[in-house]
Amino acid sequence: MFRKVLIANRGEIALRVICACKELGIPTVAVYSEADRNSLHVRFADEAVCIGPAKSSRSYLDFPAIISAAELTNADAIHPGYGFLSENAEFSEVCQASGIQFIGPPPDVTRLMGFKQHAREAMEKAGVPILPGSEGILESSGEARETAAEIGYPVILKAAAGGGGRGMRIVREASEMDAAFSQAQQEAEAAFSRPDLYLEKFITAPRHIEFQILADSHGNVEVFGERECSIQRRHQKLIEEAPSPAVTPELRRQISDRLRRALHEVGYVNAGTVEFLMDETGHLYFIEVNARIQVEHPVTELITGVDLVKGQIQVAAGMKLDEILDGPIELRGHALECRVNAEDPETLMPSPGRITGFHVPGFIGVRVDTAAYQEGVIPPYYDSLVAKLITYGRDRAEAISRMHRALEMFVIEGIRTSIPLHQRILAHPDFHAGKLDTHFLERLEQAAGAAD
Amino acid sequence: MDLKEIKELVQVVIDSGVAELEVTRGDSKVRIRRQVEAPRQEIVIPQPMAVAGQPAAAPGSNPAPAAPSEAPAQAQPKEKDEEENLHFIKSPIVGTFYEAPAPDADPFVQVGDHISPGQVLCIIESMKLMNEIEAEVSGTIVAKLVENGKPVEYGQALFSVRPD
Repeated sequence: MFRKVLIANRGEIALRVICACKELGIPTVAVYSEADRNSLHVRFADEAVCIGPAKSSRSYLDFPAIISAAELTNADAIHPGYGFLSENAEFSEVCQASGIQFIGPPPDVTRLMGFKQHAREAMEKAGVPILPGSEGILESSGEARETAAEIGYPVILKAAAGGGGRGMRIVREASEMDAAFSQAQQEAEAAFSRPDLYLEKFITAPRHIEFQILADSHGNVEVFGERECSIQRRHQKLIEEAPSPAVTPELRRQISDRLRRALHEVGYVNAGTVEFLMDETGHLYFIEVNARIQVEHPVTELITGVDLVKGQIQVAAGMKLDEILDGPIELRGHALECRVNAEDPETLMPSPGRITGFHVPGFIGVRVDTAAYQEGVIPPYYDSLVAKLITYGRDRAEAISRMHRALEMFVIEGIRTSIPLHQRILAHPDFHAGKLDTHFLERLEQAAGAAD
Repeated sequence: MDLKEIKELVQVVIDSGVAELEVTRGDSKVRIRRQVEAPRQEIVIPQPMAVAGQPAAAPGSNPAPAAPSEAPAQAQPKEKDEEENLHFIKSPIVGTFYEAPAPDADPFVQVGDHISPGQVLCIIESMKLMNEIEAEVSGTIVAKLVENGKPVEYGQALFSVRPD
């Protein structure tokens, strides 16, 4: 087992890693920017090193600062958390070169997963369903029409060199294709200097479903069920749950088998999440692999009883999955997570500042992952996550009712938070009915706007 | 910190009208916060200390501040003056501090030396790279604050300098 783990992150995930290390009896090193001097992860780690000013690029993203801190404190492993350097293959390589174990996949696997096209090809080879689309760049709108006819409308034209909604056109029938094709090309040329387009099946009301995996360094892969993360705003998740109300045991079994094979073939090691979109007929399509531990990992921990972060550390130390896990993965009960952010509920602007009143809910079925505390400060330089409020119940209804209760009893004063928004979402009959898709929040906000 | 020092700090809070004062000396730390709504002092001592702190005024008592009125010791103002004039040279990176260009060479600077902007004061080694740390001010080295070969973190004070 490791002699000492350095956590290259901050906030609640740094504390989460510290928890796992404490339970494994491993001393910890926290690194912090000047803005985080009074943070809880600094307080609860065994040692702490200030690595830079507030700006992330000069602190939490600064390779030499972090590696130096590891060398000075004699740490032999680094846990990168999520975000920051967690999916940076170069950083993972620098750790390797410095004789420090990076707690995550090997650099070439991280790199492969980062190239979406390559990840898609690898998954397709292993029989994982991918979103149907054109083979490569479309030469003409005629080719686009042919491809669309094969896949089935609606389809979406996308700029090969870009993103952010530009150079995109949804096409619902063949007659619209020619006009849409030339418009999308013009936009792509203007925005990204390349008119190249490709085409994908368009799902009108997709559900975001993701599967949690953990692989050891001996070729074994296990799948821990799925999460549904359809409640999002501009691709930022707000509420997650496990399992998904839309995934049947049969679908889960099928996808899990394919994923075990696929991830074994690419040589995946450590924790990861495989993201899918589900269409209106209940079919899943692979989108991408996130080669790190994710924010919403607690809901999976609660329904499987597995400590995923401990698992990451144990895998990185060379242990086999059958030594880490008690037996086959069984899903029991239902878990929900609300990401409580420091934001104004009306303007949605971030609301950093000093927390003057803080009371965390608890009691049966409630878990709170947070680095916030009374008189603590949410700085403006990083993300606005204040706390993850997680509830567990025997079934989805109980998990929801506990979340209602816990949101009501969560006191955060001095800053504005997203708690009122979470309460509105949870009160909606469609949420109770499990009628979710990624446009849920949009519709909720439009309805609220119309009602004013 | 002893009771006398704490009383002096309380007096500083009253006299200056400052709202909150936190002082760390070695292992002990004291935070004194003035309640703006009810004019009484509240003393919060987060670390265990050898001497019990001054108790806060009881609620409902006489609204005038109930703190001792001793004049601060004479030695303090002079020390403070000198400290206020010092410029601290801080480490811009995480690494290991070396006072000389090589193990057997003379240190770059000694206490009492005059320094000018651009002059190399020390080396901080980070990931096998030697980074020369240059002076930004003109002045005299008052103290070297880190031992040769010891680790330093970002922002840690390396030298104190009396600027010209």
